[in-house]
Amino acid sequence: MADLARIRNFCVIAHVDHGKTTLSDRLLETTGTVPLREMREQLLDSMELEREHGITIKARAVRMAWRDQELNLIDTPGHVDFTYEVSRSLAACEGAVLLVDASQGIEAQTLANAYLAVEQGLEVIPVINKIDLPNIDLDVVREELRTTLGFRDDEILLASGKTGAGVQELLDAIVERIPAPTGDPDAPLRALIFDSHYDAYKGVVAHIRVVDGALAAGDRIRLMATERESDLLELGVFVPDARPIERLATGETGYVATGLKAVADCRVGDTLTLAARPAAKPLPGYRPAKPMVFAGFYPSNAEDYPALKDALEKLRLNDASLVYDPETSQALGFGFRAGFLGLLHLEIVQERLEREYDVGLIATSPSVEYRVITQKGAEVAIDNPALLPDPGTIVEIREPWMKVTIIVPTTHVGPVMEVAQNKRAALLDMSYVDPTRAMLKYEMLVAGSLVDALSIITHRDRAQLSGRVLVSKLRGLIPKQMFDVRIQAAIGGKVIASETVKAKRKDVLAKCYGGDITRKRKLLEKQKEGKKRMKMVGSVEIPQEAFLAVLRIGDET
Amino acid sequence: MTRGIGLYVHIPFCASRCPYCDFATAPARTVLRAAYLAALREEIAREGRMLDRPRIRTLYVGGGTPSLLDPSEIESVARSLREAFDLRPREATVEVNPATLDRERLGAWLELGVTRISLGAQSFDARGLRALGRTHQSQDSTTAFMAARDAGLDVNLDLIFGWPGQTVADWQRDLESAIALRPDHVSCYPLELRLDPEASVANWPGGGWPVLERWRQRTAAAQPDDAGVARLYRLAEGVLGRSGYRHYEIANWARPRKRSLHNLGYWRDRDWLGVGAGAHTHLGGVRSANPIELRTYIAYARSGSARSADLESDPRAEAAMLALRLDTGLDLRRYGIRFGDEAASRVRLALTDVSRARLVRWSGDRASLTARGRLLASEVFVRLLP
Repeated sequence: MADLARIRNFCVIAHVDHGKTTLSDRLLETTGTVPLREMREQLLDSMELEREHGITIKARAVRMAWRDQELNLIDTPGHVDFTYEVSRSLAACEGAVLLVDASQGIEAQTLANAYLAVEQGLEVIPVINKIDLPNIDLDVVREELRTTLGFRDDEILLASGKTGAGVQELLDAIVERIPAPTGDPDAPLRALIFDSHYDAYKGVVAHIRVVDGALAAGDRIRLMATERESDLLELGVFVPDARPIERLATGETGYVATGLKAVADCRVGDTLTLAARPAAKPLPGYRPAKPMVFAGFYPSNAEDYPALKDALEKLRLNDASLVYDPETSQALGFGFRAGFLGLLHLEIVQERLEREYDVGLIATSPSVEYRVITQKGAEVAIDNPALLPDPGTIVEIREPWMKVTIIVPTTHVGPVMEVAQNKRAALLDMSYVDPTRAMLKYEMLVAGSLVDALSIITHRDRAQLSGRVLVSKLRGLIPKQMFDVRIQAAIGGKVIASETVKAKRKDVLAKCYGGDITRKRKLLEKQKEGKKRMKMVGSVEIPQEAFLAVLRIGDET
Repeated sequence: MTRGIGLYVHIPFCASRCPYCDFATAPARTVLRAAYLAALREEIAREGRMLDRPRIRTLYVGGGTPSLLDPSEIESVARSLREAFDLRPREATVEVNPATLDRERLGAWLELGVTRISLGAQSFDARGLRALGRTHQSQDSTTAFMAARDAGLDVNLDLIFGWPGQTVADWQRDLESAIALRPDHVSCYPLELRLDPEASVANWPGGGWPVLERWRQRTAAAQPDDAGVARLYRLAEGVLGRSGYRHYEIANWARPRKRSLHNLGYWRDRDWLGVGAGAHTHLGGVRSANPIELRTYIAYARSGSARSADLESDPRAEAAMLALRLDTGLDLRRYGIRFGDEAASRVRLALTDVSRARLVRWSGDRASLTARGRLLASEVFVRLLP
């Protein structure tokens, strides 16, 4: 058992392609966690093993030894949609290695993560990576690190993941500069869950950092936020392959096979304690998954509803931030209203449903949650435009804003400002990171649009234009029917745009000749297939493209 | 089979290919001509044996261009037919291409017992004939018509409307020219161009499908639009109706007692046998068809039955659709007796749906297409599919 002073928990934060993986590998190699010669073979071997045993536990924290210290390298998820998850990973650390590509300099994601790390009070070690590259100007990168993040020159390390240069110095710096964890070994167990995933064989696996107390194999655990209890199945660490151990002590990181069935029961940020001796207070910082973007998911074939339901349930096993409720739309039938962390998250879920579960989907236009203030003074949260109260009773509608910082080459400032203005963003500040890059700070609307499949929430200024564009689009997309179809856009009760799809005059009269009924029937079957892909709204058949057009309308107005 | 069956005989040969046609056709001079006729005779003989020499109630010789068979060829086919079947048809029709009917051939057909010809006039307008890629002249139709009348035959005139450049006035003149000949029966088909490759292309040497497709794409692009074609159709209904022709099927008009008995058999879902390339059969509730490609047909016909069954056939839906093509419509009481109450109420529900859009009218238990419904028949039929 390591004593607290000999433990260092840290992560590596970097922009994509700034060499995080290569440098991490080099750390494993240099510390002898994975011998240089065997690195390739060993990793392959362990993958082989995983395949054989069907184990898919992913390493989220790797334990290394360096100069008699125990170093835990904690992985962080990459995308901004998962800021909360990144923040929990950071909360499991006392320090962070901030990696900057010598040839690229500071990029948006570098900054976002660095700010997060600083906010969490982590000791940040700036490292300029890829110093082996030709034609780099270290002074420019140093200047950026000084001006945007306030580092001093003597704090900045130089390294190359490729050649291994500077890696030993970095390891020494981690030991020297990053503080040892603090925590009370005698207090009741409090462990931070910084990641979790679903494993087909072991159920939900939680990656934890023990803050107070200790955890032993065979303990009965309790999750403080979700109030679930379970007998833990396995306790272990990654070195870098999974190795079961008997005990995780204060300050250490490792994994727990919880025996729980759904990741929703084991939320990132939750506090794990012992059922027998629970902690009085959970660790700070837990936030239930809060969906920011909402969209309706409907099967394109009504018969696929059970398949969609099944697929969503399976996805939720491994994605605690996916929330959904059954919803019925007049136009689209039975489906679900689902909430997502962001648009990327929505796209990932949509793609997985279509690719992995083979469910044909109609996704309604994503929208955000609006707050409606009614004349009675009530505040109602609306995530579906169809539920908007009668316009007469609404005093105001509030929509979410966010503060956005955009770092952009000075040559692109103009177009970026134009886009921002179209999104009704208010410029708060503009400054220069360096002579070639500007930093714009905005208050920006999160929202684009939509309600029930063909309705959209849009700002008053754009309503006229959106309505007209939408109506003319739909006119082109809705096929002729047995009767005239009038397409109107209305704000409240006032029609602002109107077009008509004239009734179909004739269809294929098709002679039925020489007794060839088969061909006629086949043609009709094709026609029927086409109809199946349409949705009946009242007595009007609306093709899927029409719904998609509504989704895209935001981009064009 | 006391009431007898219909018999359809397909003669695929044509002097030239009409680019809009999508029936089983082949060049008149094909090297396969003798082999085809031999295979056809074999098929006739075999089917006659299998079906125990049934009575043929109606006979229809179609194509292709049956009228270009040589008298000796007509005679040999006729001999096979008489040997294989009890051939006492109430109606026997042969399709005639205006330029190919001469006195000698007509004699051979009369010998077979033909009572009626169907003349592929298509248009009396030189521009129309050219737009359709036809090789005959308007005068040829008149000549052939007179020859048939002289022989005491009933005559049907086939007309095509909706060709590129055709105006309402053009169509009116065509209809009047047709009526002036006082035919017993008129069929008016809108020019419908199939844009997917078809099997009969294999029978023709030369440019193949790409050449045909180019013609069809070009022609389709130049046709009157749907509203224009609908107008032409309505005009035909008016003009022919006023001249004493009953619009008894979507594309067919007839003087009293001159409806095509053979074709009525199709629409009333009766039994018929089809022999020859691409011919369709409906016997004992089973639909089947012969291959369109000549070589395949010949090989199949010689080695056993050429027919392959349509396994996806849906007798309920098909019977309902076919009945609705006729002005007499669909009698749901009788339909219920034949297919059961559940099937009948399904159809009733589907038709109620479209009667709101005025495509179908009801008279008691009988549903029939309205004038609008005839133009939008597919909208009605598609709802009858399971």
